[in-house]
Amino acid sequence: ILDDPDLKEIDPTVLKHCHAAAATCILEAGKQKADISAISACLEDCKLDKERIEQFCTEYQHRELVTVVSFSIGRSPLHVTDVSWRLEYQIKNNQLHKTYQPSYLVTLNVENSDSGSHSDVSFSCTMEQLQDLVGKLKDAAKSLERATQM
Amino acid sequence: MLLVLSAEHRAHLGCLPRAGDAAVGELGRLALEQLRRGAAPRACEAAARKLNIGIDTIQHGVEGLVYLLTESSKLMISEIDFQDSIHVLGFSDELNKSLLQLYLDNRKEIRSILGELAPRLPSYHSLEWRLDVQLASRSLRQQIKPAVTMKLHLNQNEDQTAQVLQTDPATLLHLIQQLEQALGEMKMNHCRRIVRNMK
Repeated sequence: ILDDPDLKEIDPTVLKHCHAAAATCILEAGKQKADISAISACLEDCKLDKERIEQFCTEYQHRELVTVVSFSIGRSPLHVTDVSWRLEYQIKNNQLHKTYQPSYLVTLNVENSDSGSHSDVSFSCTMEQLQDLVGKLKDAAKSLERATQM
Repeated sequence: MLLVLSAEHRAHLGCLPRAGDAAVGELGRLALEQLRRGAAPRACEAAARKLNIGIDTIQHGVEGLVYLLTESSKLMISEIDFQDSIHVLGFSDELNKSLLQLYLDNRKEIRSILGELAPRLPSYHSLEWRLDVQLASRSLRQQIKPAVTMKLHLNQNEDQTAQVLQTDPATLLHLIQQLEQALGEMKMNHCRRIVRNMK
């Protein structure tokens, strides 16, 4: 805003205050999911004239982006985004030959909402353990389905 | 596959014929205990006194037997190969037979002990899950955001760790699909053929 030629006449401090005030107003309105009448009432209390209130509300109608951004802000535990797996058949190691064991190596790709970093959780499991894991995940999915039908 | 015994190893085992049958049994027992629980110098001292043999000889004999048993079990050598390998030591037939019996009786146990020494990644223990719906947050009120919160229990070198993770419903279905594909792989012809041919 500070570089906008139309606004060069105005004192930069005042500009910043106005910008901050407008942004806060939009965020709060979005947070509370306030409707147009509520916003108009609030702005009237702030002694804005009718024309400006109407302009503000029209601009506010394009607020979908704000809701989306607010939706994604917030803390949550590590979020799983993807899974990779590897099936291997162990033949020998330096302590024991002829082991002949199949095993799975599963890696869960995890995103941390705070730092946006990727730390991954890796673990190995046998076929039975993987079946147990898949069974439990399917139970979770089934109860999700039932919950949506309620 | 034959076991190759070094000169030092042969010298250690060389005490066995002189020791007598009872001693061989005792040394075998000490060797197995050492494999199960680690070196026990006091037990060796007691054996040395009982059998009237020097403690150094006893210890060398036990170590020699431990090495012989672990190498044979590790490679899973057959009876014939074992007999041929110890033949080079020039022991009596009876002694050879007792050693073979010692090997056959205990190789399964020794293999499971050796199996625990292998490098290991954290392994799966169990999974707990919970269905949550986020209704509001500091930045946005009146939401409906479903999520599945999971606690993954893993074993790492005898420690249990628990990791709390969360996913959304779409990712959960994707995870299930991918892991079911992984399970299916084991039943494919390719894997079956390899498992069959590598026994």
